[in-house]
Amino acid sequence: MTPLERAEAKFGWKLVAPTILILGLLILYPLMYNVYLSFFDVQLNGYKTFVGLENYIKLLTNTDYYSAIGTTSLYLLGTVVGTTLLGLAMALLLKDPFKGRGLVNAAIMLPYVAPVISVVFGWQFLFDPISGVVNYLFVDVLGIWSERTNLIGNPDSALWVVVLFDIWKHAPIAYLLILSKLVSVSRDQYEAAAIDGYGPIGRFFHVTLPELYFVLATVVLLRLIWNLNRFEDVYLLAPNVQTLPIFTYYQAFTGVIDQGLAAATSVIQLAVLSVFIWFYIKKIMKW
Amino acid sequence: MLGKRTLTGRIGFALAILLLVSFSLLPFAQILSTSLKHQYDWGNPSLIPQTINLDAYKELLGLTEAKKVEIPAAIQKILNNPKLPKDKKEAIAAKYTSNENLFPFGKYMLNSVIFSVGAATFSLIFSVMGAYSISRLRFKGQVVIQRSVLFVYMVGGVLLMVPLYQMAMNIGLASSLWGSAFCLFLIYIVQTLPVGMYMLGNYFRGIPFALEEAAMMDGCSRKEAIIKVVLPLSLPMLATVFIYCFIIGWNEYLFASVFLKQYPEFHTLPLALQELFVSKNAIWDRIMAASMLTLAPIVICFLFASRFMKGGKTDGGVKG
Repeated sequence: MTPLERAEAKFGWKLVAPTILILGLLILYPLMYNVYLSFFDVQLNGYKTFVGLENYIKLLTNTDYYSAIGTTSLYLLGTVVGTTLLGLAMALLLKDPFKGRGLVNAAIMLPYVAPVISVVFGWQFLFDPISGVVNYLFVDVLGIWSERTNLIGNPDSALWVVVLFDIWKHAPIAYLLILSKLVSVSRDQYEAAAIDGYGPIGRFFHVTLPELYFVLATVVLLRLIWNLNRFEDVYLLAPNVQTLPIFTYYQAFTGVIDQGLAAATSVIQLAVLSVFIWFYIKKIMKW
Repeated sequence: MLGKRTLTGRIGFALAILLLVSFSLLPFAQILSTSLKHQYDWGNPSLIPQTINLDAYKELLGLTEAKKVEIPAAIQKILNNPKLPKDKKEAIAAKYTSNENLFPFGKYMLNSVIFSVGAATFSLIFSVMGAYSISRLRFKGQVVIQRSVLFVYMVGGVLLMVPLYQMAMNIGLASSLWGSAFCLFLIYIVQTLPVGMYMLGNYFRGIPFALEEAAMMDGCSRKEAIIKVVLPLSLPMLATVFIYCFIIGWNEYLFASVFLKQYPEFHTLPLALQELFVSKNAIWDRIMAASMLTLAPIVICFLFASRFMKGGKTDGGVKG
């Protein structure tokens, strides 16, 4: 190592030191501390008693936990498929420049940046059994439902409202990712396929889709990673839909508080999440 | 490829765009519409109010006078009881005279601004340093740091709420008002730092090193080269990262509820709005007006930042 290289390394460490310190102290250490806590009976005031594996046994014999896993799976399935398909459709639709594309772009990005807390009230009003336009549409105009229903009040239907909400909010991200790949597919390939006799649909399946394969995998993986821990979007819109994060939150801070059990839930969830993240870093990230 | 040359193709395209934009904007239109409607008008499916009602906005922005609340006779009797200690009396009186209907929107907004602007500022400073280090300087362990940053970036807050709360409890911060606020502030920095580093790291890599080299040949130190060359060149990206971090803090609910729920005077907007919604004072027009006012700063920031966010330039580094 030359002195110059050594100086560069020293400077590099100096610059990154505050970040390492703060991320280590407030993310990596808590993750490990969480594992430790999962072996204790933990009170809200910080009082702990060692209970060994009891939290895990309690968790794995709790039917609510399995129903939370089921709800989370449906939520992930619905949001991943919905967001990817809508994002793809948006990218295909908006690929070529047209008049007013900037405005359309801004409009469809708005759901993504808007604070969850303010848009959930709009959604709640739309689905409101008395004043909401959804009930008006399906009951009074189309006559598909015989009576007005509280879709958000019932956990089974609320799950699909929450899924739709997530698709609405996060399709723009899928759209941006897919679009950036889509515009880089060269025109020559389409022309070559056209000469080979493929129509628009054939060109989509033989040129576009293979080119997008990688970016679609990225979108799916990112959706899985983010939505596995999605809390606010579900809890604030429909607190009765118990996906795993909401299940954990209720354990940790409401009713009969059992923070040790919540810690155990988080440990298992982190293990699953780590697999997704590992995949993402290994297969997709270039840094 | 959608056959835009034919007339039907064009109409189909326009319809698809219209459908997409309506789907995206409908909830916003609903919020705006309801915030401006009188109560008798709520059940009306039309988005256009019959008459415009600005009362909710006036009330939230403190433009109407607070109504005086009468102390009920029974309570007055208790207060007249000479045996009751003075401080208890004051507490009871305060409970009944405080105008519960009043929603101090301005205060909550100020809290939100302090938390999110403060955290975004610190986050930006640390991420400039960190991003420069891992994208430009070569040293051992760099790859490990890069990957760790990405990893922690993707760990959601839900997995951290119990241990962070317990840590704050152990060192005694969670039991005091300022301690809790301090914890929340640190947590917002941590939540925004990785994304800032990620976005800036990608950006710094795109700035030709020759520019810095030239500055250093002119006698600048490396630090001066960063300040005089790299930072001015990255100004748009710095603004974007700042706004991005600001938005994350502004929208955050989970940790605010964990740490600040018991301290109403420090509530941020998401927390205050949720409390308002579940309280008995939930009135649609007021909630919608509050939502609109919470939304407004974000929309303004976004319109500014969107100029730099186009075309997937953030390259998958966006949270959400």
